[in-house]
Formats: sequence, C-alpha cells, structure tokens
Amino acid sequence: MDKFLTFTIAGLSSAAIYAIAASGLVVTYTTSGIFNFAHGAFGMMAAFTYWQVHVAWGVPTIPAVILVVFVIAPIFGAVIERVIMRGIEGASDVVKIVVTVSLMVALLGIAQVIWPQNVSRPVPPFFEGRFVELFGVRVPWARLMALVIALVVAGGLKLLFTRTRLGIAMRAVVDDRSLLQLNGGRPGRTAMLSWGLGAGLAAISGVLYSTEQTLSAITLTLLVVNTYAVAVVGRLRSLPGAFLGAVILGLAQSYVTGYINPGLTIGPIALGNLAAALPAIMLFIVLLVQPEERLRAHGVERPRNPIRVPSQTVAIVGGVALVVVLAALGSLMSASDLVLVTKGAGIALVTLSLVPLTGYAGQISLAQMTFVGIGAVAMAAWGASGSPLAVVLVVAVCAVVGAVVALPALRLSGIYLALATAAFALFCTAMFFNQQTIIRAGSVQVPPLSFGPLSINTDFRQLVLTAIVFALLGNGLVWLRRSAWGRRLTAMKDSPVACATLGLNLTSTKVGVFALSAAIAGAGGAMSGRTFTADSFSLPASLPVTMLAVVGGIGSIAGAFIGGMLLGAIPIASTIFAANAIGIFRFVSLPVTNVLSFTPGLMGISLGREPDGAAPQIAVGYRAVGDSPPALVVSAAGAVALWVATRVGVITKWSFFAALVVFVVAVVPLLPLILTPRLPEDQAEPPRRVACAIWLALATIAAVLIPWATAITSNGVRVLLVLVLAALSARVAIGVLGVTPEQLRRPLPPSPDLIGVDRPLSRADAIEATHMMGLTEDEFEAEVSRAGADVAAAPVGALR
Amino acid sequence: MSASFPTAAASPVAAAAPALRVRDLSVRFGGHLAVSSVDLDVPAGRISGLIGPNGAGKTTTFNAICGVITPTSGQVELGGDDVSKLSTHQRARRGIGRTFQRLEVFSSLSVRDNVRVGLEIRQSWSRRRAAAPQFLAGGAELSADDEVALIIDRLGLVEVAEVPVGSLPTGQARKVELGRALAARPSVLLLDEPASGLDEQESVEFGALLGTLAASGLAILLVEHDIALVMRVCSELSVLNFGQLIAHGTPEQVQSNAAVLDAYLGGGGNDATAVERAAVDAGVNVSDTSWSGPGAPS
Repeated sequence: MDKFLTFTIAGLSSAAIYAIAASGLVVTYTTSGIFNFAHGAFGMMAAFTYWQVHVAWGVPTIPAVILVVFVIAPIFGAVIERVIMRGIEGASDVVKIVVTVSLMVALLGIAQVIWPQNVSRPVPPFFEGRFVELFGVRVPWARLMALVIALVVAGGLKLLFTRTRLGIAMRAVVDDRSLLQLNGGRPGRTAMLSWGLGAGLAAISGVLYSTEQTLSAITLTLLVVNTYAVAVVGRLRSLPGAFLGAVILGLAQSYVTGYINPGLTIGPIALGNLAAALPAIMLFIVLLVQPEERLRAHGVERPRNPIRVPSQTVAIVGGVALVVVLAALGSLMSASDLVLVTKGAGIALVTLSLVPLTGYAGQISLAQMTFVGIGAVAMAAWGASGSPLAVVLVVAVCAVVGAVVALPALRLSGIYLALATAAFALFCTAMFFNQQTIIRAGSVQVPPLSFGPLSINTDFRQLVLTAIVFALLGNGLVWLRRSAWGRRLTAMKDSPVACATLGLNLTSTKVGVFALSAAIAGAGGAMSGRTFTADSFSLPASLPVTMLAVVGGIGSIAGAFIGGMLLGAIPIASTIFAANAIGIFRFVSLPVTNVLSFTPGLMGISLGREPDGAAPQIAVGYRAVGDSPPALVVSAAGAVALWVATRVGVITKWSFFAALVVFVVAVVPLLPLILTPRLPEDQAEPPRRVACAIWLALATIAAVLIPWATAITSNGVRVLLVLVLAALSARVAIGVLGVTPEQLRRPLPPSPDLIGVDRPLSRADAIEATHMMGLTEDEFEAEVSRAGADVAAAPVGALR
Repeated sequence: MSASFPTAAASPVAAAAPALRVRDLSVRFGGHLAVSSVDLDVPAGRISGLIGPNGAGKTTTFNAICGVITPTSGQVELGGDDVSKLSTHQRARRGIGRTFQRLEVFSSLSVRDNVRVGLEIRQSWSRRRAAAPQFLAGGAELSADDEVALIIDRLGLVEVAEVPVGSLPTGQARKVELGRALAARPSVLLLDEPASGLDEQESVEFGALLGTLAASGLAILLVEHDIALVMRVCSELSVLNFGQLIAHGTPEQVQSNAAVLDAYLGGGGNDATAVERAAVDAGVNVSDTSWSGPGAPS
C-alpha cells in the first residue's frame, strides 16, 4: 500500500508538470493557430537559464525563478512570435510544422553550444530535505508544490479566458483575426501575449522538471512528446482535457516504473523502456478513439508559385546527368570525402521519400529516419547475402508498417500526423532500436548489396548505386506525379473537401502515399550498405531530414536532392572546418562546427520568409538552361572539361572545386541569356552578351589558376574564398549583362481579379483588358492619347 | 432567348420519385440552430431552387446533404436509399455532386486536369458501383478523353483548358467546378451560387446549360442570388430564412409570398421595388437585375 501511494504521489507530481506544460501548448495553439513543436525546447532553455542564473551566478532561488519564469521566458516567447511566427500565419500546415520543428532543432543546437554536454549541471531541488507525512508516506515539499502550481495555473487560465477582456481577445484572435482587428482588437499584440504566456508556462514546467532529473537538453526537449500525448486528450484545444490526460500519463508512467520488472520481456523486447514509450502508446490510443475530423470548405488559396512538373524527358536527362556527375566527382575525391558524399547521397534518398508525401500530397512525417532504421535492421536480419530480393521484402514491410502507423492519424488533420509520427519515432527508439536483441552494441551493419558477381563493396560503387537508385526513383516519382494518382494527390492537397465530394476516399489515398513514402525511406536504409548507430534512427535525427527536404523545396525531385545534400554537406563542412580552421573561424568564441550544429534549424526557420523552399527559386535560373539546348551543351561540356583536366592532373582538386563552384553558381544560370537569341520583354537595351561571356570565362580561369592548394593552408578559408569568388563573379556578370534570369520567366496569363493587386499593371494587361472589352488596340490608343500626352508616354507601371 | 432552351417542367422524366429527399434536417452549431427541420424534394429532370438571404442556412444545408458536416438530426435519402450514415465520399459515389460557394478548385492544376481528376476519381470507384450517365452527352458513352473534351467545350473553357485554375477569374473557376462535378457523373447536382462572377450574357448561357442537363434527367438543386436566373430556370423554389423553410412552390407562387418579401427586405417591405422589378423581369425577359443579398435592394 505504501508503495502504491508513493508511486501515486510521484505520478501525480509528474502529472502536474505535464499539465502545466500542456496548458502552455494549448494556450499558444488555440490563440495563434500554430502548434508549437518547440514548446519542450522553450522549457529546456528556461531550465538551463535557471541553472545559469541560480547555480552558476549564485542568484538566490526566488529571484532566479521570478527572473526566468516571469521575465526572460515571456519576453523570449513574445519575441519568437513577433520575429518568426507572425510570418507564417496563413501558411500551410506543413510550413507551420516545419518552422516550429526547426525552431526546436535550432534551440537544441544553441543550448548545446552555450551549455556543452560534457559538464554535469545539477539543479538543487526546491525545499531540499523537507518532507510531509501523508498516510505514512514521506512526500517531498517540492512534489506538493508542483501540484499546487498546476492547480493555480488551471484556475488562473480559467479566469483569464472567461473573465478578462484580454483572454476573450486571445480566443477571438484565432477565430477571425481580421474581424478582431475591425472591432478594435490588436491581434498582433494579443498573439505576442499568448506566446509569452505559453513560454512562461513552458518555463515553469522546465524548471520544475530540471530539479527532478539530470539537466539534459535532449531529454528536456523531447519531453514535449509527453506533452503532445497529454494535450491530444483535449484535442489540443481543451484545458480540462489536457489536465485529465496529464493525470492518466503521469500515473501510468509511475506505476509502470514501480510495478513492471525492467527485466521482463515480451519476445525479444525487454520492457525496461516501457515508461519512455508510454506517451507514444497513449498518443496512438487517443488518436484511434478520436472521431474522424470533419472536412472544411473554406475556399482555396491561390498558390503563389505552382510547381512545374518536369516532362519525363527532362527527368530522364536529369537522372542520367546526376549519375554521371556524382560518379565523376566521386572518382576525384579522397577516401574520407567519398564516405561523406556517399552518406549525403543516401540521405537524399530519404528526403526523396518526402516528395510524394509532403510535396505532392501535403502531408508530413517526422519519422523518416525511423523507417530507414526499420529498413536497415530488417536488411541486416534477412538480407545478409545482399540479395536485391531481400530489399524488395524489406521495402514491402516498411510500406505496411508505414500504413499501420499513419492510419489513425490520417483520419485527422495534418498536425496529428506530425504528432503521431514523432511518437512513433520515440516508440521505436525505446522499444525497438534500443533493444540489445535487435541492435547489438548500439550499431547495425547493413550488408552491401550484390548483383550476381558485382558486389557493391566500395564507397565509390555505393555512391554510384545510390545515384542510380535516386535517378530511377526520381523518374518513377515524376511519372507518378503525371499519372492519374499523382493528379489526385495534388488535387487532394489543393482541396480535400472537393475530392471527397467527387467520391475520393481521402483516408485510403493518404495511407497509400504514406506507405509509399515509408517504403522509399526503408529502401534508403536497406540499400545503404553502411553502419548506422541506433541514434541515427531517433526523432532528433529525423527532424532535420524533414526540415531540409522542405527547405530544399519539397515539390520537386531536385528540391529533395538539394535538401539531402544540404544535410550531407553539414558533416562535410564540419570536417573541413574542423581540420585546421579553428582560430580563424572563431567568433564570440564559437567554433564553426558548433554553429553548423544549429544551422539546419535556422534554415528551416527561414521558411517563414520563403515558404516555397529553395528549389523553386534556384530553379528559375536553372530551368531556362533546360529549355535551351545550346546552354545545356555548354554546361555539360564545361563540367566534363574541368573533370578531365583534373583527372589527368592538369589542375589540382582544389582548383577543380573552385572552378566548378564558379561555373555552377555564376556561369550556368546565365548561359541561356548569353546563348539564346530570345530577348526578355520590356528590355530597353540589348544585353552585353560578349562582354559578359568574356567576364565569366575570366572568372572561371581565375578560379582554376589561383593556387588554392599551396597559397592557403586552411580548408575553411579556401571554401569561404571560393564561395566569395563565385558570388562576386555572378554579381558582376549580371551587372555586365544587364539582364537577370528572373526576367526570362514566362509570365502566366494574368488573372483579371488580381490585376493591379498582386503587381503593378503592365501595358500588356491594359491591352488585354481592352480586348476583353471588345475594343481594338487603336481605340485603346485613342483613349490613352485623349487622357493626355504626358500620361500616354509614361509606362503603365508608373501610373499607380 | 428565354424560349430557346427546353424548360425543365416539360421533361418526361420529371414524374419519378425525388432523386434526393431531405427530411427534418437540423444542424446546430453550439447554441445556434443554423438549419431547422428542413424538408426538401429534388426530383430528377428538374431544377429546384433554394433561395434565401445570406446566412439563411443554404450552404449549411448543402454541407449536411453531402456529408461535409454531420447534421444534428434528420435524414438524407438518395434514390430511395438512406445515406444519412455515409461519409462524404460514399455519398458522392451514390450520386451526389456539388460545387462550392467559396471556390474549392484544384488551383495548381490546369482546367483540363481539374476536369480529368473528377473523371478519374469517378473511374476509380465506378467499377464497383455504376455511376449515372453523362448527362452533358445526353447519356451517350464516351472515351475518357472525349468526355473531358466535351465538358470543357460545353462549359466554354476551351481557350483556357491548359491554364492553371488558380490564375482564372472567379466566374471561369466556377465553371471549372461545375465541369469537375459533371465529370464525376452525379445523379443529383447541388450548385452553390454557380452564377456569381458571370456576366449577364454568360448567365443566360449558363441557364440554358442547366436546362439541357435537367432535360436529360439530372436532378439539380440550385442556390443562387441571381434572382433573374433562378426565376427563369427553376421549376420550383424553396425559401430559407434563419434556417427555416418559409415558403415552397412554383416561382410565381413564391414571388408573391408575403413572408418571402418580408424576409428579403428585413421586415418593413416598403421598398419592394427591387424585388418586384426582379420578379417581373424574370417572368418576361432577361434583366440586368442580379442582387446579392438582403442588403442590396436598399
């Protein structure tokens, strides 16, 4: 009985912390419409700040708590709202999720830079050594205090939302922001306040939790998954629901810890980690019993940048080019660089798995590395000989697992799929990847594939294989996107409700695409031929994959490749910079490698400004190359020439690298402008093609001739100077030419609804409108001249 | 002009049992009763109108009929089968098609692909459950490509067929929604303000198109603020106000109904000129009157 009571009280005190954290999450979600995946990271930052203020600087407990919980955390939350979240209001679910997930990853990286992991940071418990006797059980004051704080928070929030003007405005802001504004409310200020409040609540829970456990950035950040499970009980919107969920989870975890023998096993699975897996299990059960989300017809947004689907020919050419270029690069690299690039290409396969799911269907997954892990472990178990047939089996298993995982969440909206996949990642780490019977000694070796006599047993072969698989899958996805099913996915992304009213079963369609995505990720694991640590399959490893896939521009295969390579580039950059750059690349005493650890997060946050990702923007420049055969020929010939020159030893590898970067960044995007006779519209002066071509040739030659290998000793300085040279060459070339690639963009037929709204009127608009009114151009000109000679002479764009 | 298209009432199919039957339909949003005990019969081969001021519950009724929202109570029958327990896509497969008041087009797809998606979704289920004939083709069987081409042609979208719908003006986007719905071959078509965004000439052509569809056997329920169009094409009208049916009958009966005039003019009824003009115009010729709600006539 004592034991039961002890664990009940322990459970209730964790429940109190969960409830406080979950109420913060619910407050920000209901008042800003943004589900803050970084909520746990807010709490983590607060806990570390508390340690800094209280333990490191010796500020007494009460002022330290007040400073952290009531001053620093709310200001931090409000600033985050103002700087980041306001930009993504009205963005798609995917962008909102990726931005907050990126914030979480960035905060995690920043915390690890400020407070390195190798130092132990104990936080003294509140009221140390003081106990109360309750039914014969000694209960620490701190636990009772947690309960009291939870009750105070509950009461305070109830009063705030029902009795105060501010609370009612907070509820109104999410219902109809513009209406609130019309009625004299200030939605911006209200949203900042609600984020400040949410961050304050996160801080309370973080500080309380830090006194019970060792201070660990990852543990505290991932505690947020417990909070999700708790908040889902109240459908993310109800505070009483969240409190109920907290009690259930707190007690369940406590009893599991108390009563289930950690040595107990079910089959090969030891139950020692069951308490850690409970939030995930609870989340799934809650999702299963939720009624299906009702559809909403609220009008479709006009897309800013419809992603152009490449023709199959372009996709095939792109695939062949990818294989050739990667093989050429691979043959030049040192063994250690080759390993990194091969891993990067492997990750590109994983980001590719998000193209159908996120790019085409508008769904999201935060567990792609988990599927890689399932693929890797299954391949190690069943495909020791490296048989391609084993890959087929493994891929099928991943597809089935994916379908089962996604099913409960797919009946609901996008945010729940993100939660469910995050929970699945945690569940698999606890109950599968961290089991000695499944991954022995924390790492798994995926057997290299062999095709008859050809074994993929070198890094170079692995790189070529990965490139071929990427090219094939990429082509398959382009074909899929152009097929009936692909059109249906795009249609479902644009308007789910319209699809349903045409007879489409949304759930089975989404399950299908999720299974496909899981299968591709599983294939990425099964065909990797490398060693993975169990950590690589965890939630923190999956997050950057999803983030960078979206940053790369998830609607396109090229975007997936860019995303994968960005992610692959971070370890490459780390090794380059770590080699001998320290001492030069220190700013505010941060080694560059540490800065790189939170770069992915910052890149993700940048989506708040550019929600379409990088690929569509880069594509504007490069797309024209695809349309211009002479430009394609020159690009390919230039790249091959550089490669041959390096291969035969005429130029050094660093010269090759520098020349290639200059060529790709500065020369290739401008080639169509230089080589194609077609002039952009409204171009007063002809572009100075010859001068520009000479400049670009000089820049490339300079890149080759600079003695990078001998004149500069630091790899970091080399890379930086190469990038500077490329950027300068491009900038000057555009200046010389007098035309930018954007001007080549073929304009879409303008929508009369938006003329003059989304951009200034052009003369073409006016003429088209004239035609629509049934007038001839002459009559239009007559009208214009009647309006006045000075007006007629001005471009219509200036007449605003 | 108004005599050149077949009138729905003359259709031989009209005598059959209603294709869509709604009984005692109520929808409650929290404390607000948006739709209250509504009964509707939508017979095949006719155009039935559902009119009422903004906020009267017309779109909510549509949403409840096609299963986008779950009604608080009531029954929806399709061709004699109770579909009240079915999900949206199951109801669609049994023959309910619709358009939306606020556009729900596939804006990143071209006009042709929008229509094609409608057809392809129908093909994916019609192997198991036969769809209605293509009323636009008078029931003739066509290849998929021909059917898409026919729909685009009949809706006057040939010139914009390859343009992404997101860049079309509203009037054309509404036609795309109609074309897409027709590609799924419904037996009952719910149209939610399909003519808003159309000019006078287009509205006339649109009315003629609806007449043709009904004449080949489609049941159409039309929500529309273009009173001239409604009076011209509908064989019967139901009028909603504050979620309740306040009148039902032929257009002639409805336009002389005191409760209807009252509802539209918000009580007084002393400024009836706009309504009267609309009604008169509708009866005789095509008017330039199209008003968009209770506030407009003032």
